Amino acid sequence: MFERFDDARQWVLSAAEQEARRRGDRRLGTDHLLLAMFHDPKELAAQTLGIDLETARTAAEALDRAALSAVGIHLGDQGLAPPVGARRRLAWTSGARAVLVLSVAEARRTKSRRISARHVLLALLTLRRPDPAGQLLEALGVDAGQARAGLLP
Amino acid sequence: MVENELAASIRSDDPAVGLRAVGALQRLAEQVEARYVALARAQGWSWEQIGDALGVSRQSVHAKHGK
Repeated sequence: MFERFDDARQWVLSAAEQEARRRGDRRLGTDHLLLAMFHDPKELAAQTLGIDLETARTAAEALDRAALSAVGIHLGDQGLAPPVGARRRLAWTSGARAVLVLSVAEARRTKSRRISARHVLLALLTLRRPDPAGQLLEALGVDAGQARAGLLP
Repeated sequence: MVENELAASIRSDDPAVGLRAVGALQRLAEQVEARYVALARAQGWSWEQIGDALGVSRQSVHAKHGK
């Protein structure tokens, strides 16, 4: 499926892996794909959503801390991310694989031959909680419907 | 969203919250483990002693943290 991507292929996949490892996750999930969208050299996600990478990362960590608080664990300044070895490629969660399929559908809908960052972002914007990317979009206060409308031609 | 506001909107009876907390705890445990295994090695502990302290085998702790 990756061969149908345009130049986004080069940065989306490596950025998503980087985000997963940065957080210490063993599997690449939809939230890492969403964070990867803010690595876009053309800044499509940043401009469409009005959010930068640091804000998105901070929101993801705040969700973790809030979830821990909800189960009675209160962290001080303790960071959450373990040092992660750059071993083999990470496996993708089923949700993340589904985003690729959705991206292909978005490309088809807009009659594009290639899958671009725009299609991946459109796919991610269809996700709702409990999906991790859906949770992150919600925490960032993104109006997904409006953002999608802005991305469609 | 402000963190306090976020915490107030998050409920402990939501499975998405509880399961997210489990993931965060696992990452936290990994982080604490890596830090203290390195410290133990620096202070001359054997892999066997570290494995015993963690309740796992010498082999598994070495495979995970040995270089």
